[in-house]
Amino acid sequence: MIVIDPAHGGTDNGAQGPNGTVEKDVVLRLARQIRSDFERQGFRVVLTRNDDSNPSYEDRAALANAYRDAIFISVHVSSTGKVGTAHVYSYQFPSPAASGDAGVSETPKSLITWEEAQRPYLDVSHRLANLLEVELSQRFPGSALISTPFAIRELRSVSAPAIAVELSSISVPDPNMLVAMGAPLSNALVRSVQMLRPGNPLSRNGSSMKTQVAGAN
Amino acid sequence: MPRNLQITLAILAVAVIIGLISLRGLQNHVKRLAQTTTTEEQARRDLLKPSTSSPTDVPAEAKIFWANGPEQIVPIRVVLPLSAEPVKRARQLIDALILQPPTPEQRTLPDDATLLGFYILPDGTAVADFSDTLSTGTPSGILSEMQAVNSIARTLESNVSSLRRLKILIHGQEVDTLAGHVDLTGFFDLNSSMPAGLPNTPGGVSLPTSQPAPTAEPPTPSPAAKHPR
Repeated sequence: MIVIDPAHGGTDNGAQGPNGTVEKDVVLRLARQIRSDFERQGFRVVLTRNDDSNPSYEDRAALANAYRDAIFISVHVSSTGKVGTAHVYSYQFPSPAASGDAGVSETPKSLITWEEAQRPYLDVSHRLANLLEVELSQRFPGSALISTPFAIRELRSVSAPAIAVELSSISVPDPNMLVAMGAPLSNALVRSVQMLRPGNPLSRNGSSMKTQVAGAN
Repeated sequence: MPRNLQITLAILAVAVIIGLISLRGLQNHVKRLAQTTTTEEQARRDLLKPSTSSPTDVPAEAKIFWANGPEQIVPIRVVLPLSAEPVKRARQLIDALILQPPTPEQRTLPDDATLLGFYILPDGTAVADFSDTLSTGTPSGILSEMQAVNSIARTLESNVSSLRRLKILIHGQEVDTLAGHVDLTGFFDLNSSMPAGLPNTPGGVSLPTSQPAPTAEPPTPSPAAKHPR
Protein backbone atom coordinates (compact mmCIF):
# COMPACT_ATOMS: atom_id res chain seq x y z
CA MET A 1 0.00 0.00 0.00
CA ILE A 2 1.39 3.37 -0.97
CA VAL A 3 0.26 6.14 1.38
CA ILE A 4 0.63 9.54 -0.26
CA ASP A 5 0.53 12.43 2.18
CA PRO A 6 -0.19 15.87 0.74
CA ALA A 7 1.11 18.08 3.55
CA HIS A 8 -0.88 20.82 5.30
CA GLY A 9 -4.50 21.57 4.34
CA GLY A 10 -7.45 23.39 5.86
CA THR A 11 -6.37 26.52 7.68
CA ASP A 12 -2.73 25.48 7.34
CA ASN A 13 -1.66 26.79 3.94
CA GLY A 14 1.97 25.72 4.29
CA ALA A 15 4.39 27.76 2.21
CA GLN A 16 2.83 30.75 0.46
CA GLY A 17 4.00 32.15 -2.86
CA PRO A 18 4.02 35.74 -4.02
CA ASN A 19 1.16 35.18 -6.44
CA GLY A 20 -1.19 33.66 -3.90
CA THR A 21 -0.05 30.11 -4.59
CA VAL A 22 -0.30 27.99 -1.47
CA GLU A 23 1.54 24.78 -0.76
CA LYS A 24 -1.54 22.87 0.40
CA ASP A 25 -3.16 23.16 -3.03
CA VAL A 26 -0.04 22.35 -5.03
CA VAL A 27 0.79 19.24 -3.01
CA LEU A 28 -2.78 17.93 -3.27
CA ARG A 29 -2.59 18.24 -7.02
CA LEU A 30 0.82 16.53 -7.06
CA ALA A 31 -0.44 13.77 -4.77
CA ARG A 32 -3.32 12.97 -7.10
CA GLN A 33 -0.94 12.72 -10.01
CA ILE A 34 1.40 10.46 -8.04
CA ARG A 35 -1.55 8.27 -7.06
CA SER A 36 -2.53 7.81 -10.70
CA ASP A 37 0.98 6.81 -11.72
CA PHE A 38 1.31 4.29 -8.89
CA GLU A 39 -2.10 2.81 -9.68
CA ARG A 40 -1.13 2.40 -13.32
CA GLN A 41 1.77 0.26 -12.12
CA GLY A 42 -0.58 -1.93 -10.09
CA PHE A 43 0.01 -0.44 -6.65
CA ARG A 44 -2.80 0.19 -4.19
CA VAL A 45 -2.73 3.80 -3.11
CA VAL A 46 -4.42 5.87 -0.43
CA LEU A 47 -4.15 9.62 0.23
CA THR A 48 -4.04 10.98 3.77
CA ARG A 49 -6.33 13.74 2.52
CA ASN A 50 -8.16 14.19 -0.74
CA ASP A 51 -9.71 17.58 0.00
CA ASP A 52 -8.92 20.77 1.87
CA SER A 53 -8.87 19.07 5.27
CA ASN A 54 -5.90 19.01 7.61
CA PRO A 55 -5.52 15.66 9.38
CA SER A 56 -3.26 15.74 12.42
CA TYR A 57 0.21 14.23 12.27
CA GLU A 58 -1.15 11.34 14.30
CA ASP A 59 -4.08 10.75 11.96
CA ARG A 60 -1.78 10.71 8.94
CA ALA A 61 0.54 8.24 10.64
CA ALA A 62 -2.37 6.13 11.85
CA LEU A 63 -3.62 5.72 8.30
CA ALA A 64 -0.26 4.32 7.20
CA ASN A 65 0.03 2.19 10.32
CA ALA A 66 -3.29 0.52 9.56
CA TYR A 67 -1.80 -1.30 6.58
CA ARG A 68 0.78 -4.03 6.36
CA ASP A 69 3.69 -3.28 4.06
CA ALA A 70 2.78 0.36 3.63
CA ILE A 71 5.17 2.95 2.27
CA PHE A 72 4.53 6.52 3.42
CA ILE A 73 5.44 9.42 1.13
CA SER A 74 4.85 12.96 2.35
CA VAL A 75 4.85 15.64 -0.36
CA HIS A 76 5.91 19.24 0.34
CA VAL A 77 6.84 22.45 -1.44
CA SER A 78 9.46 24.65 0.22
CA SER A 79 9.44 28.38 0.89
CA THR A 80 13.09 28.64 -0.08
CA GLY A 81 15.67 26.77 -2.10
CA LYS A 82 16.80 26.65 -5.69
CA VAL A 83 13.80 26.69 -7.99
CA GLY A 84 13.34 23.42 -9.85
CA THR A 85 15.19 21.20 -7.39
CA ALA A 86 13.96 18.55 -4.98
CA HIS A 87 15.16 17.20 -1.65
CA VAL A 88 14.29 13.96 0.07
CA TYR A 89 14.29 13.34 3.82
CA SER A 90 14.00 10.39 6.15
CA TYR A 91 13.56 10.65 9.91
CA GLN A 92 16.44 10.95 12.33
CA PHE A 93 16.21 10.37 16.06
CA PRO A 94 18.87 11.79 18.35
CA SER A 95 21.61 9.27 18.92
CA PRO A 96 20.96 7.08 21.99
CA ALA A 97 24.51 7.55 23.19
CA ALA A 98 24.16 11.32 23.22
CA SER A 99 20.65 11.42 24.59
CA GLY A 100 21.02 8.74 27.18
CA ASP A 101 17.88 7.08 25.85
CA ALA A 102 17.80 3.34 25.70
CA GLY A 103 16.47 3.43 22.17
CA VAL A 104 14.61 0.62 20.48
CA SER A 105 16.12 -2.48 19.01
CA GLU A 106 16.41 -2.63 15.25
CA THR A 107 14.34 -5.82 15.35
CA PRO A 108 11.79 -5.17 18.06
CA LYS A 109 10.08 -8.22 19.48
CA SER A 110 7.15 -6.51 21.14
CA LEU A 111 5.39 -3.18 21.37
CA ILE A 112 7.11 0.07 20.60
CA THR A 113 5.88 3.49 21.56
CA TRP A 114 3.88 5.64 19.18
CA GLU A 115 6.50 8.38 19.40
CA GLU A 116 9.20 5.95 18.29
CA ALA A 117 7.23 4.07 15.64
CA GLN A 118 9.59 5.08 12.84
CA ARG A 119 12.72 3.88 14.63
CA PRO A 120 12.70 0.26 13.36
CA TYR A 121 12.31 1.54 9.79
CA LEU A 122 15.08 4.14 9.77
CA ASP A 123 17.36 2.04 7.62
CA VAL A 124 14.83 1.12 4.96
CA SER A 125 13.41 4.65 4.96
CA HIS A 126 16.87 6.08 4.45
CA ARG A 127 17.52 3.63 1.64
CA LEU A 128 14.28 4.56 -0.09
CA ALA A 129 15.10 8.25 0.36
CA ASN A 130 18.50 7.77 -1.24
CA LEU A 131 17.04 5.81 -4.15
CA LEU A 132 14.57 8.61 -4.76
CA GLU A 133 17.16 11.34 -4.40
CA VAL A 134 19.31 9.72 -7.08
CA GLU A 135 16.31 9.52 -9.39
CA LEU A 136 15.35 13.13 -8.70
CA SER A 137 18.88 14.45 -9.20
CA GLN A 138 18.73 13.06 -12.73
CA ARG A 139 15.42 14.77 -13.43
CA PHE A 140 15.94 18.01 -11.55
CA PRO A 141 19.54 19.24 -12.03
CA GLY A 142 20.93 20.94 -8.95
CA SER A 143 19.08 18.65 -6.58
CA ALA A 144 20.85 16.89 -3.76
CA LEU A 145 22.80 13.75 -4.57
CA ILE A 146 21.94 11.97 -1.36
CA SER A 147 18.97 12.29 0.97
CA THR A 148 19.01 13.98 4.34
CA PRO A 149 18.06 12.36 7.63
CA PHE A 150 16.42 14.94 9.87
CA ALA A 151 13.67 15.17 12.48
CA ILE A 152 10.67 15.71 10.21
CA ARG A 153 7.63 15.56 12.46
CA GLU A 154 5.27 13.90 10.00
CA LEU A 155 7.50 10.83 9.70
CA ARG A 156 8.13 10.09 13.37
CA SER A 157 5.09 7.98 14.20
CA VAL A 158 4.83 6.10 10.95
CA SER A 159 5.35 2.38 11.44
CA ALA A 160 6.51 1.80 7.87
CA PRO A 161 9.20 3.06 5.51
CA ALA A 162 8.55 6.80 5.42
CA ILE A 163 10.06 9.67 3.48
CA ALA A 164 9.30 13.31 2.79
CA VAL A 165 10.03 14.92 -0.56
CA GLU A 166 10.11 18.71 -0.90
CA LEU A 167 10.11 20.58 -4.19
CA SER A 168 11.65 24.04 -4.42
CA SER A 169 9.98 26.34 -4.28
CA ILE A 170 6.65 28.08 -3.83
CA SER A 171 8.33 31.32 -4.98
CA VAL A 172 8.33 30.24 -8.63
CA PRO A 173 7.01 33.02 -10.87
CA ASP A 174 4.50 30.64 -12.46
CA PRO A 175 2.80 27.96 -10.31
CA ASN A 176 2.56 25.76 -13.40
CA MET A 177 6.30 25.23 -13.06
CA LEU A 178 5.61 23.27 -9.87
CA VAL A 179 2.79 21.33 -11.46
CA ALA A 180 5.12 20.48 -14.34
CA MET A 181 7.49 18.88 -11.84
CA GLY A 182 4.72 16.42 -10.96
CA ALA A 183 5.26 13.97 -13.81
CA PRO A 184 9.02 13.49 -13.30
CA LEU A 185 8.51 13.40 -9.53
CA SER A 186 5.85 10.76 -9.87
CA ASN A 187 7.95 8.71 -12.25
CA ALA A 188 10.93 8.89 -9.91
CA LEU A 189 8.80 7.80 -6.96
CA VAL A 190 7.43 4.78 -8.78
CA ARG A 191 10.90 3.71 -9.88
CA SER A 192 12.33 4.13 -6.38
CA VAL A 193 9.60 2.08 -4.75
CA GLN A 194 10.00 -0.63 -7.36
CA MET A 195 13.74 -0.74 -6.67
CA LEU A 196 13.09 -1.03 -2.93
CA ARG A 197 10.81 -4.04 -3.24
CA PRO A 198 12.07 -7.43 -2.05
CA GLY A 199 13.77 -9.33 -4.82
CA ASN A 200 15.19 -6.24 -6.40
CA PRO A 201 19.01 -6.34 -6.32
CA LEU A 202 19.05 -2.78 -5.00
CA SER A 203 16.85 -3.72 -2.05
CA ARG A 204 18.66 -5.36 0.83
CA ASN A 205 15.80 -5.94 3.25
CA GLY A 206 12.70 -4.84 1.43
CA SER A 207 9.91 -3.30 3.41
CA SER A 208 8.11 -6.26 4.84
CA MET A 209 8.92 -5.49 8.46
CA LYS A 210 5.86 -4.59 10.49
CA THR A 211 5.77 -3.93 14.17
CA GLN A 212 2.97 -3.47 16.63
CA VAL A 213 2.72 0.13 17.71
CA ALA A 214 1.54 1.12 21.16
CA GLY A 215 -0.18 4.32 22.11
CA ALA A 216 -1.86 5.06 18.80
CA ASN A 217 -4.50 7.71 19.18
CA MET B 1 -41.76 63.45 2.80
CA PRO B 2 -44.00 61.66 5.33
CA ARG B 3 -43.32 62.48 8.94
CA ASN B 4 -42.79 58.80 9.87
CA LEU B 5 -40.09 58.42 7.24
CA GLN B 6 -38.39 61.60 8.48
CA ILE B 7 -38.33 60.27 12.02
CA THR B 8 -36.99 56.89 10.83
CA LEU B 9 -34.25 58.56 8.82
CA ALA B 10 -33.34 60.79 11.75
CA ILE B 11 -33.09 57.76 14.06
CA LEU B 12 -30.98 55.92 11.52
CA ALA B 13 -28.68 58.90 11.12
CA VAL B 14 -28.23 59.14 14.89
CA ALA B 15 -27.55 55.40 15.04
CA VAL B 16 -24.92 55.66 12.31
CA ILE B 17 -23.20 58.54 14.11
CA ILE B 18 -23.20 56.62 17.39
CA GLY B 19 -21.88 53.55 15.54
CA LEU B 20 -19.04 55.52 13.99
CA ILE B 21 -18.07 57.00 17.34
CA SER B 22 -18.17 53.54 18.96
CA LEU B 23 -16.14 52.04 16.13
CA ARG B 24 -13.44 54.65 16.58
CA GLY B 25 -13.34 53.95 20.30
CA LEU B 26 -13.18 50.23 19.61
CA GLN B 27 -10.30 50.70 17.22
CA ASN B 28 -8.38 52.73 19.78
CA HIS B 29 -9.05 50.04 22.37
CA VAL B 30 -7.71 47.32 20.07
CA LYS B 31 -4.62 49.41 19.37
CA ARG B 32 -4.07 49.90 23.09
CA LEU B 33 -4.43 46.15 23.69
CA ALA B 34 -1.91 45.38 20.95
CA GLN B 35 0.54 47.85 22.46
CA THR B 36 0.04 46.29 25.86
CA THR B 37 0.81 42.82 24.46
CA THR B 38 3.98 44.09 22.83
CA THR B 39 4.97 45.81 26.01
CA GLU B 40 4.41 42.67 28.04
CA GLU B 41 6.45 40.62 25.58
CA GLN B 42 9.22 43.21 25.68
CA ALA B 43 9.09 43.35 29.45
CA ARG B 44 9.41 39.59 29.64
CA ARG B 45 12.37 39.65 27.31
CA ASP B 46 14.03 42.42 29.30
CA LEU B 47 13.40 40.59 32.54
CA LEU B 48 14.68 37.23 31.35
CA LYS B 49 17.55 38.42 29.27
CA PRO B 50 20.62 39.12 31.36
CA SER B 51 23.34 41.31 29.99
CA THR B 52 25.37 39.13 27.67
CA SER B 53 28.55 41.08 28.06
CA SER B 54 30.70 41.55 31.11
CA PRO B 55 34.06 43.16 31.85
CA THR B 56 35.70 39.74 32.10
CA ASP B 57 34.79 38.79 28.51
CA VAL B 58 37.76 38.54 26.21
CA PRO B 59 37.77 38.93 22.43
CA ALA B 60 37.90 35.47 20.92
CA GLU B 61 37.42 33.96 17.52
CA ALA B 62 34.10 32.16 17.10
CA LYS B 63 32.63 30.16 14.25
CA ILE B 64 29.08 31.30 13.51
CA PHE B 65 27.04 29.33 11.00
CA TRP B 66 25.17 31.60 8.62
CA ALA B 67 23.50 30.87 5.29
CA ASN B 68 25.45 30.52 2.10
CA GLY B 69 22.64 30.52 -0.41
CA PRO B 70 19.20 29.09 0.29
CA GLU B 71 20.41 25.56 0.98
CA GLN B 72 23.70 25.83 2.81
CA ILE B 73 25.12 27.05 6.05
CA VAL B 74 28.82 27.69 6.44
CA PRO B 75 30.98 28.64 9.39
CA ILE B 76 32.21 32.21 9.33
CA ARG B 77 34.94 33.26 11.70
CA VAL B 78 34.19 36.37 13.72
CA VAL B 79 35.87 37.93 16.73
CA LEU B 80 33.47 38.45 19.64
CA PRO B 81 33.83 39.33 23.29
CA LEU B 82 33.08 35.92 24.77
CA SER B 83 32.65 34.72 28.30
CA ALA B 84 34.44 31.65 29.56
CA GLU B 85 31.25 30.63 31.34
CA PRO B 86 29.35 28.22 29.01
CA VAL B 87 25.80 29.57 29.52
CA LYS B 88 26.80 33.17 29.01
CA ARG B 89 29.05 32.21 26.10
CA ALA B 90 26.21 30.31 24.41
CA ARG B 91 23.89 33.30 24.81
CA GLN B 92 26.47 35.61 23.29
CA LEU B 93 26.89 33.27 20.34
CA ILE B 94 23.17 32.94 19.65
CA ASP B 95 22.72 36.69 19.98
CA ALA B 96 25.47 37.16 17.41
CA LEU B 97 23.86 34.56 15.15
CA ILE B 98 20.60 36.50 15.24
CA LEU B 99 21.90 40.06 15.21
CA GLN B 100 25.13 40.07 13.25
CA PRO B 101 24.79 38.18 9.95
CA PRO B 102 27.30 39.65 7.46
CA THR B 103 24.47 40.34 5.00
CA PRO B 104 20.68 40.04 5.21
CA GLU B 105 20.84 37.16 2.72
CA GLN B 106 22.98 35.17 5.14
CA ARG B 107 20.40 35.38 7.91
CA THR B 108 19.15 31.99 9.16
CA LEU B 109 16.92 33.19 12.00
CA PRO B 110 14.28 35.94 12.01
CA ASP B 111 15.76 39.29 12.98
CA ASP B 112 13.14 39.78 15.69
CA ALA B 113 13.74 36.38 17.27
CA THR B 114 15.00 36.58 20.83
CA LEU B 115 16.68 34.06 23.05
CA LEU B 116 14.55 34.29 26.19
CA GLY B 117 16.49 31.79 28.24
CA PHE B 118 19.39 29.41 28.01
CA TYR B 119 20.25 26.65 30.42
CA ILE B 120 22.72 23.78 30.55
CA LEU B 121 21.78 20.64 32.43
CA PRO B 122 24.41 18.50 34.17
CA ASP B 123 24.32 15.90 31.38
CA GLY B 124 25.34 18.48 28.79
CA THR B 125 21.83 19.15 27.50
CA ALA B 126 21.46 22.75 26.33
CA VAL B 127 17.95 24.18 26.60
CA ALA B 128 17.40 27.22 24.39
CA ASP B 129 14.12 29.06 24.92
CA PHE B 130 13.24 31.39 22.05
CA SER B 131 10.49 33.95 21.59
CA ASP B 132 7.43 33.10 19.47
CA THR B 133 8.97 35.04 16.62
CA LEU B 134 11.45 32.25 15.95
CA SER B 135 8.49 30.07 15.07
CA THR B 136 6.30 32.65 13.34
CA GLY B 137 9.16 34.30 11.44
CA THR B 138 10.85 31.20 10.03
CA PRO B 139 9.54 30.44 6.54
CA SER B 140 7.46 27.27 6.49
CA GLY B 141 9.37 24.44 4.84
CA ILE B 142 11.70 21.58 5.67
CA LEU B 143 14.68 23.28 4.05
CA SER B 144 14.27 26.63 5.81
CA GLU B 145 13.45 25.15 9.20
CA MET B 146 16.36 22.73 8.98
CA GLN B 147 18.68 25.58 8.10
CA ALA B 148 17.49 27.53 11.14
CA VAL B 149 17.93 24.62 13.55
CA ASN B 150 21.27 23.60 12.04
CA SER B 151 22.66 27.10 12.33
CA ILE B 152 21.85 27.15 16.05
CA ALA B 153 23.12 23.62 16.67
CA ARG B 154 26.32 24.00 14.67
CA THR B 155 27.15 27.38 16.18
CA LEU B 156 26.76 26.04 19.71
CA GLU B 157 28.60 22.83 18.91
CA SER B 158 31.57 24.62 17.40
CA ASN B 159 32.09 27.04 20.24
CA VAL B 160 30.88 25.39 23.45
CA SER B 161 32.52 22.00 23.71
CA SER B 162 30.71 20.85 26.84
CA LEU B 163 27.32 20.62 25.13
CA ARG B 164 26.02 17.21 24.11
CA ARG B 165 22.50 17.85 22.83
CA LEU B 166 20.10 20.70 22.24
CA LYS B 167 16.48 21.18 23.17
CA ILE B 168 14.60 24.09 21.62
CA LEU B 169 11.62 25.62 23.43
CA ILE B 170 9.31 28.33 22.16
CA HIS B 171 8.19 30.82 24.81
CA GLY B 172 8.99 28.36 27.55
CA GLN B 173 6.96 25.54 26.03
CA GLU B 174 7.80 22.39 24.14
CA VAL B 175 6.15 22.67 20.73
CA ASP B 176 5.49 20.09 18.04
CA THR B 177 7.38 21.78 15.22
CA LEU B 178 9.35 24.90 14.45
CA ALA B 179 7.10 26.10 11.62
CA GLY B 180 5.20 22.99 10.61
CA HIS B 181 7.93 20.52 9.72
CA VAL B 182 10.99 20.13 11.92
CA ASP B 183 10.23 18.12 15.05
CA LEU B 184 11.05 20.08 18.21
CA THR B 185 9.72 17.50 20.66
CA GLY B 186 13.08 15.76 20.77
CA PHE B 187 16.72 16.73 21.00
CA PHE B 188 19.40 17.57 18.47
CA ASP B 189 22.79 15.97 18.87
CA LEU B 190 25.76 18.23 19.50
CA ASN B 191 29.43 17.32 19.47
CA SER B 192 28.63 13.74 18.52
CA SER B 193 30.52 11.82 15.88
CA MET B 194 28.64 12.16 12.62
CA PRO B 195 27.87 8.95 10.74
CA ALA B 196 29.61 8.89 7.38
CA GLY B 197 27.35 9.90 4.53
CA LEU B 198 24.85 11.78 6.67
CA PRO B 199 26.18 15.30 6.35
CA ASN B 200 22.96 17.15 6.94
CA THR B 201 22.35 15.80 10.39
CA PRO B 202 22.97 18.23 13.21
CA GLY B 203 26.57 17.15 12.76
CA GLY B 204 26.70 18.37 9.15
CA VAL B 205 26.67 21.80 7.66
CA SER B 206 25.73 21.71 4.04
CA LEU B 207 23.43 19.98 1.64
CA PRO B 208 24.80 17.73 -1.07
CA THR B 209 24.11 19.19 -4.46
CA SER B 210 25.16 18.30 -7.93
CA GLN B 211 26.28 21.91 -8.32
CA PRO B 212 28.31 22.62 -5.21
CA ALA B 213 28.40 26.20 -4.09
CA PRO B 214 31.55 27.77 -2.71
CA THR B 215 31.87 27.70 1.04
CA ALA B 216 33.58 30.10 3.36
CA GLU B 217 35.12 27.18 5.17
CA PRO B 218 34.48 23.76 3.63
CA PRO B 219 33.44 21.11 6.10
CA THR B 220 35.59 18.05 6.50
CA PRO B 221 34.86 15.88 3.46
CA SER B 222 32.95 12.72 4.09
CA PRO B 223 33.84 9.65 2.05
CA ALA B 224 30.22 9.07 1.12
CA ALA B 225 29.29 12.67 0.43
CA LYS B 226 31.45 14.96 -1.60
CA HIS B 227 28.97 17.83 -1.53
CA PRO B 228 27.60 18.17 1.99
CA ARG B 229 24.46 20.20 2.70
